[in-house]
Amino acid sequence: MNPLRTSTQPRPAKQLVPQRISVVLPAVLSAVVVLGAAVFTLLPLVRLGTAWPVALRDHLEQRGVQESGACNLVSAIYLGYRAFDTLGETIVLLVAVSGTIGMIAGAGGVPRLERSKGHRTELIDVVTGKLGPVVLIFGLYVMMFGHMSPGGGFQGGVVVASGIVFLALGSRAGGRSRITEPGNLARIEALGFLFLVIASLVGSFTGAGYFGNPLARAGISPVVYIIALNAVIGLKVGAGISLMCVAMLGEAES
Amino acid sequence: MIELILLTLVVLCLFALESRDLLTGTIVLSVVSLLSALLLYLLHAPDVAITEAAVGAGVSTVIFVWAIKATDRKDAT
Repeated sequence: MNPLRTSTQPRPAKQLVPQRISVVLPAVLSAVVVLGAAVFTLLPLVRLGTAWPVALRDHLEQRGVQESGACNLVSAIYLGYRAFDTLGETIVLLVAVSGTIGMIAGAGGVPRLERSKGHRTELIDVVTGKLGPVVLIFGLYVMMFGHMSPGGGFQGGVVVASGIVFLALGSRAGGRSRITEPGNLARIEALGFLFLVIASLVGSFTGAGYFGNPLARAGISPVVYIIALNAVIGLKVGAGISLMCVAMLGEAES
Repeated sequence: MIELILLTLVVLCLFALESRDLLTGTIVLSVVSLLSALLLYLLHAPDVAITEAAVGAGVSTVIFVWAIKATDRKDAT
């Protein structure tokens, strides 16, 4: 119909081909680079035939349970032998949560979503409200029994955070609970970190060294220290992650 | 069994990359997390499996879904 229209019509098709190449080429190049780097790194490991260092592994396998008192060796390592690394991990999480809250606050809060009827159903309210406490209990179990069964502070903390998010989702219909208020969550996280720092310093004063077990000289099983650290880390991680999620749900200003 | 799970993971990840509907991609990603949690459990790492299930299928999905609700559901590119 319009001559101008017909003359411009083939143009997008012509542009399409170089555009696709310009998109595909970097992807292929980066894939080749990544594969090359992987081969370059892994090939010497496979080909050289150097013996793997086994001294530490054997020591942990034979003596770890005795020395730490924790049946779950993963817990024994990350709270007993390598507790200093765990402190670093919690600081990383603290920085991540602070950064997220700072970004949300800097952007002027979360944009208020319109309350469309389709998204909020009775089903979600009832199911999340009833499921929340059960998930909380399970999270506490994973947290407190991390020295015996799979789990621990970080895993239990994340499960606790899911439970708090469930409660926050379920209680939006009207009922409120104090555990989903951002102020309380921030307080729990700060207290958890304070207790963690105190627990790390106590060993210095009793002669066990930084992050040393202060109970070792009193004749109490060292597993008590691991349980306490698990509980503190679990509370801190759970409060931090749920604070992030509750702030994103748009409840921060209330 | 493990090879089957790995193959399914790759297929699901490619599907999540290619899907134009971001909500579908998010749900597929949470299925990927569940499958990798199963894989880690089969490989005798139950601690990591719990973390993967709670973080991957739980918290990150909630965050993604709320980000999609606050922005746009269709992939713009």
